[in-house]
Amino acid sequence: MTAREIVDLIKKNAGMPWNDRSTRDTFKAGNPDAQVKGIATTMMVTLDVLRKANAAGLNMVLPHEGTFWNDRDDTKDLTDNPLYKLKMDFIEKNNMVIWRDHDHMHAMKPDFTVLATLREIGIKADADVGIRAPVYTIPETTLGEFASRVKQMTGIRALRCVGDPNAKVSRILFGPGYATQRMTPEADVVIGGEQQEADGAFDNVEYVMDAASLGMAKGVIMLGHAVSEQSGMEDMAKWLSRFIPDIPIQFVPQEEPFW
Amino acid sequence: MNQSDISRRQFALIAGAAIAGAAPLARAQANAQVGPLTAEDAIARIQTALGGDWSAAPDGFKAGDRTHVVQGIATTAMATLDVLKQAATAGANLVLTCEPTFYGRADGQAPAAGGRGRGGPGGVDPNDPVVKAKHEFIENNGLVVFRLHDHWIARKESDMVTGLADSLGWLKYRVRNDDALFDIPAASAEDTVAQIRAKLNLRGGLRAVGDRKATVRRVLLFPGSMTPASMWKRYSETDMIVAGEVREWENTFYAADIATAGEKRTLITIGRVVSQDPGMRLCADWLKTVVKEVPAKWIGAGDPYWRPV
Repeated sequence: MTAREIVDLIKKNAGMPWNDRSTRDTFKAGNPDAQVKGIATTMMVTLDVLRKANAAGLNMVLPHEGTFWNDRDDTKDLTDNPLYKLKMDFIEKNNMVIWRDHDHMHAMKPDFTVLATLREIGIKADADVGIRAPVYTIPETTLGEFASRVKQMTGIRALRCVGDPNAKVSRILFGPGYATQRMTPEADVVIGGEQQEADGAFDNVEYVMDAASLGMAKGVIMLGHAVSEQSGMEDMAKWLSRFIPDIPIQFVPQEEPFW
Repeated sequence: MNQSDISRRQFALIAGAAIAGAAPLARAQANAQVGPLTAEDAIARIQTALGGDWSAAPDGFKAGDRTHVVQGIATTAMATLDVLKQAATAGANLVLTCEPTFYGRADGQAPAAGGRGRGGPGGVDPNDPVVKAKHEFIENNGLVVFRLHDHWIARKESDMVTGLADSLGWLKYRVRNDDALFDIPAASAEDTVAQIRAKLNLRGGLRAVGDRKATVRRVLLFPGSMTPASMWKRYSETDMIVAGEVREWENTFYAADIATAGEKRTLITIGRVVSQDPGMRLCADWLKTVVKEVPAKWIGAGDPYWRPV
C-alpha cells in the first residue's frame, strides 16, 4: 500500500467531508507513492521521532503538528538552513514520507486530543467530545492540589499555573494545544496547551490574575502544547489499525522538550 | 535624572489641590506656573516625543477620564489589578501599560469573530464581574490607563533590550549597540538560567530547551514574542536565546531538533510580560525627561506563574 492510499483510507473513515483546502493536512516531505512498511503516529515529527520511527521500520510518519517549525510548513526561507537540509536528507535517504493530520483530527467526533488528554488527567469526557469540550465537574479540591495531581498523572516538568493555589475549584474547562479555551463564568479552571500570554483574543493569564486579586476562585493550568495533545496520537494509532489491518502502526511518543 | 525643585513644587501644588477635590483652584494656581497637566496633555507630549502615527490600535486610552489632572505616572508591562492598586497607593494616576488592560488585544471592546486556536471570540462582556470591578477601581481612584506598546517597542534606542540586559546585569557585555547580542562570562546553561531566575525574581514561568550542561557565552535577548523566522535567522550565532515567548509547536521544536542534531544551544523563554517589565522601567526613566512636572514610577507586573509541587 502506498502512503497516498493510506491517506485515502483516512479520508474515507474520518466521518466528514474532506476539506482539500486545509494547508495543514497535506504531505510535507517524501514520496506519497512510496510503499508503506509501517506507520508512526506522533505529536511533533522531530528529528528524534524520525530516527525512532526509522529504527522501528515505520517509514510513514503521521504527526499532528508541522515538520518545519512553522504552522504552514512554509519552507521558502529554509532552503539554505542546515537543519532543514539535515531533516530532509534523513527523510529522503530513508525513503520516509510525512503526512500531517491536524484540522480533520480536531473536527472528528471524538477529537482524540481532547478525549485522551482528559482521560490522562482523570476526567471522563463524553464519547463524542469535540475540540470545544464542555465544563466537566470534579470533586471539589484546591487549585494547588489539582495542579499537583495533573503534574503527577502527566509527568510534566514545566507545568505553569496562575491563580491562588488555595482557591476551591471543581469546574474544569479543557482545550488542546493552542485551542486553550477562554475562561467563562461557568468554569473555575482553564486547562490548555499554550496560549499567547497577552495581547491575544482573550488573555486568560491577566484575567485570572485579576480574578484572584478580587478573591474569586479561578485558575489557569498550562500543560505545554505537545503534552496537551500527544495522548491523542496514541488513540489515533488505535483508530488507524481498525481500517488498516495489515501494516504495523505504532505511536511514537516524545519527551517533553522543557527542563 | 532628578527633578528640579521648581517642578517638585508645581507637582505638590497640583497634586494637593486635586486631592482636596478643588480642581478649579488647582487650575488657577497651576495656570500661574505652567497650567494643569491633564492626562491628555501628558500623552500628547509623549506622542510628540516618540513621533509616528498614533491613529491606529493598539496604543491609546483604555479607561478613565483623560481630562483628569495628572498627579504622577506609573509605567508597567501589564496593568493588572494589583499593579493598578500599587499605582493608586503611590498617587500615580496615569498608568502607561505595554500590554492590554481588559484581557486581549481588543482591550474590552465588544466581542468580535475569533478563530479557533485563539481562545474564542475577542473582546469581553462588559457585565463580566472582573471587567466591572476593574473599571470601578479605575474610576473610583481617578486613574487613567493608556496603552503604550507599538510606539515604545519601535523606539530606535531599543529600550526593551537595554532594560532587560540592565536587569540581568549584562549591559557591559553588549557586543554592538545596535544589536541584542551579549558576550557574558562563560557559565553552564543551567547556571545561567539560575542567574536569570534570581536577577529577574522569577517564580514559575521560565522554561528551557537544550543541553543544560552546555557552556553559554553569546546570548541573544529577544523581549516580547519571537517568530520562527527570527529564530531560524539568529539561533545558530548564539549559545542561548532568551526570549519572552515563542509558539511552542514552532520555535521550541526547532530548538529540540537543533539539540538532537548535536548543536549545544539553549532556548529560554522567560514569559512575555516578565521580558517587558525592565523595558517599561526605562520608560519611567525616559518620562522624567519628557513630562518633568510629575513623578514617574515603574511598577513591575511580575511573573504570573507558579509550579505545583
